[in-house]
Amino acid sequence: MRDLKHLLYFENLLQEANNALVAQAKADGRVCIAYTCENVPEPLLNLAGTCSVRLFAPHTGSMDIATYYMTNLLCEPSRALLERAIEGGYSFADCVITPDGCTMLNRAVENMELLETMGKDNPKFFHEYMEIAFKNTESDVALSVLQCQNHILTPLQKNYGIDVSDEAIRKAVAEHNRLCELIRAIGDFRKGDQPRITGYEFHVLCLATYVCPAYLVLDKLEATLKELKTRKPDDKPWRARVLLVGSEVDDSGLVKLIEEQGAFVCCDRFCFGSYPGRVPIQLNDQEDALTQVCRHYVQNCQCPRMMNQEKVYGRKQYVAELAKEYGADGIIYEQVKFCDPWAYERTLGAAMLEQDYGYPVLSVDRPYNIAASAGQMRTRVQAFVESIEIKKIQRGGKA
Amino acid sequence: MSKLVKLPLILLGAALAFFVVTFTVYFFNLDMKATALLAPVLEKWYDRLERKQYI
Amino acid sequence: MKTVETLVNPVKRTGEQSPGKIYNEKLKVRARREWRGFKDTFYDYTRWLYLMSVLGRFILVPRNVKGFFRYRWMMSYLFVPHGMDKFTIGLRDEALRIAHTSFNFVIADVTQAIANCFRGDRRVGNDKAYSDKCVLTDENSMVTFMMGFDTDKVHTILREVPTMFASNIFHQFNVMHYLDIAQQYGIPGDVCPMPEAEAGISIDDDFCVLGCCAVQNNTTCDGSLMGNGIIAKRLEREYGIPTFQLATPLRHKEPDVLEYAAREIKEAIAFVEKHTGEKWDWDVYFTSAKRVNDATRCRIAQMEINSTPYPQFFGAAFSLYNDTNYMGNSGRNADFVKIDHKLLALAEKGYAAKRMYAKEYRHRCIVWGVQPQYIIDQLYWLVQCWGVVPLTDMLSVVNTDMIAEEDTPENREQAYRDMAMLNMEMIMRNHTHGGFRVLVDELWELCEKMNADMVMMWEHMSCKALTGMHGQFEEQARERGIHLMWVSHDLCDPRVFTRQAIRDQVNSYMRTVMREEPLDPSLENIPDNEAY
Repeated sequence: MRDLKHLLYFENLLQEANNALVAQAKADGRVCIAYTCENVPEPLLNLAGTCSVRLFAPHTGSMDIATYYMTNLLCEPSRALLERAIEGGYSFADCVITPDGCTMLNRAVENMELLETMGKDNPKFFHEYMEIAFKNTESDVALSVLQCQNHILTPLQKNYGIDVSDEAIRKAVAEHNRLCELIRAIGDFRKGDQPRITGYEFHVLCLATYVCPAYLVLDKLEATLKELKTRKPDDKPWRARVLLVGSEVDDSGLVKLIEEQGAFVCCDRFCFGSYPGRVPIQLNDQEDALTQVCRHYVQNCQCPRMMNQEKVYGRKQYVAELAKEYGADGIIYEQVKFCDPWAYERTLGAAMLEQDYGYPVLSVDRPYNIAASAGQMRTRVQAFVESIEIKKIQRGGKA
Repeated sequence: MSKLVKLPLILLGAALAFFVVTFTVYFFNLDMKATALLAPVLEKWYDRLERKQYI
Repeated sequence: MKTVETLVNPVKRTGEQSPGKIYNEKLKVRARREWRGFKDTFYDYTRWLYLMSVLGRFILVPRNVKGFFRYRWMMSYLFVPHGMDKFTIGLRDEALRIAHTSFNFVIADVTQAIANCFRGDRRVGNDKAYSDKCVLTDENSMVTFMMGFDTDKVHTILREVPTMFASNIFHQFNVMHYLDIAQQYGIPGDVCPMPEAEAGISIDDDFCVLGCCAVQNNTTCDGSLMGNGIIAKRLEREYGIPTFQLATPLRHKEPDVLEYAAREIKEAIAFVEKHTGEKWDWDVYFTSAKRVNDATRCRIAQMEINSTPYPQFFGAAFSLYNDTNYMGNSGRNADFVKIDHKLLALAEKGYAAKRMYAKEYRHRCIVWGVQPQYIIDQLYWLVQCWGVVPLTDMLSVVNTDMIAEEDTPENREQAYRDMAMLNMEMIMRNHTHGGFRVLVDELWELCEKMNADMVMMWEHMSCKALTGMHGQFEEQARERGIHLMWVSHDLCDPRVFTRQAIRDQVNSYMRTVMREEPLDPSLENIPDNEAY
């Protein structure tokens, strides 16, 4: 396929956390809200005058200082973020809002606070830690509402004078939905036998929507969507179609590596992927917007930390439904090394998707920066693709 | 010797014997030494048990 | 650096002076028991007899024999007397009595727990009527939500305590099998081995199967939360035992989570009522609440004694008792009250006599982090080998607030908040979760309060909440002039760090950093790596 016109532009945005669009948002006078977990309701961070920037650490190499602070037993994303914070990579942030979701990311942010890595010259700077929902009940929605009120809206209003009214939230949700619909529409081109966008390209676009101020990427996304409508797909078929599930994938190199082995990443279901993070939020006029936003996040959350059995089983069903919708031949459950929630989730998920839903599954752990262990991962994916092909032949189909 | 005198003596003798035996077992850790010998046999037993092992 | 005055024991210890000499590598158990002078040896002997009688009575019940041959973990309980010896190394006088009183009570409690499990177990006793009134709970969980159920009508079964937690204390290799099973099925080796072993037991089908329902909890870490899913799947789908997930907020110091936590407690109670058919009884609850407060008062008094130059509560036996009382009991059993007061009376007697339990007290030490199960005697060793007095450990530093204990309409609502507060502040998670203030800042406050110059930091390799603050501990200890001694271990897996590898970390620190010689060189290297 011909290269997407704006792919290089988006790729360049992913080269550093403090990228050109973050700088532009700061120049626009926006309050940059740094956050680390997809369980934080994103529209509440994108009210008029604010923009959300999800922290990530591209091209992570040495994590020596963060390893001193947190030992080498904490997951690499948490250490990579701390290392980058210590290096001054997140100096643009005007506040950090993080939930006590997974322990390790929480500790990373706590270390950032104790080491005063951000906000030294900003008297309005603040750190906020939220409790997030554990189950998908109305009680959890109430918890979420209170937490968002106390740890997002009130501090933003108090410190930066941000309008946090119902009307402001509704406006933010409308903008958020516009972004989600664009990503959904672009992602739909992964369906069918001749996809018009690769998994790698889609990942670059989707990741950019989290790590850049969303309002600044909309025009290029719209142009890309338009381009895709007339893009001529490759004739050469993929050897297999896989659904990628697991911990956050901040390194598009992982998706590229999988696709280099002939496995088309037809759908993504990982932290900060397009499912469920880029599913539009439906609002009605009967209930306040905050409660509805919180309910959306509580009900749609696919985080392994959600602990009631309905959610535990539901997560596997969700993956199976996505696999069906996107025509996946197999599922790759990946876990960034030392991530406890996904360690258990991929074990149970791999077993259930195989036993209960009949999908071939590759269950694998990986480094944060795939370049650190590309050879191992390549071998695992190659073997998986071959096993899928063999299964197809055994079923009487073409490899 | 009347039964009245004999009984307490028997009881005392039994108590003394009990003490000597159990204290010997206690002090020389014979109970745990025997258990340590038994443990490998038991492990083999548990290894042989059939179980419905799955996730 | 902060220093404390060295206290020299004016009284020579009776009996054996070098308890390190009684270990024998080949035997895997001690060559003989310790000679503690006539009085204390005889006392220790009578306690041994008592333990044997507890075990003997247990094995006389035929279903317990059947259970013994069904469950691998039961083998550990053959080593209970060996475990008892670990808890009493070098102890004399009141400290010996405190260790025995607390530990023997725990043993009796665990033995009863196993007997209860076997009674209801579908494979062993299969007493269906009994099983239908049993509620399964997590090992590391507070059972506050059971405080208002009559213990004669509803039985709380902490199924994981005898299976994993306690069994690992008596037999250091016991859990390895289950860890291997869990890893064989794909759980990585870098997660906390405790929930991993529990998941392994479930995968290996080595849990007793009983109960009309189960209540799980996100107790101490992400691993414990996640392991529940694997266990619940088997409980629900294979054995038809419904499970309820009691969600407990992590940021427990924030007032805005309390109402949610209270609602969860209400839900858990309603779930138990539904499945057992029994009603919550406020009289029973407030009686339990009084006992909880009584235990809290005793715990505060214990801390005060240990803040003096003559601390009396040492080591794991006492902390294990505290665990059992605070979490597994939560005021439901009246017998704990008697034991609490007996322990306090013994400590007061020891304190009045200015009793010391080593030749010298050189350092006053707070033990922080999570203790390994398989070297449970480390704290006794610490004081006797190096004169480092463990004043308290992280797991024993729990709630000191009183809860409502009078039955009034307002207090019935308050009761849910009290249960929620206790639940959130369960052992370990009250420090490992809730932000760095409860983990780091509270440690320094405790050092100040108890006049400690040293911290022994258990670095459980897979406890990410704790290791995530590694650098902060280092830097802040340096700023405060506190000697910080890191001791790495792996909680349940002696293959990662052997017992001697753990002790060697202390030996190295004491020799190279503190430049001190051991009080008892016979203890510096103990050939017990292969011992049970």
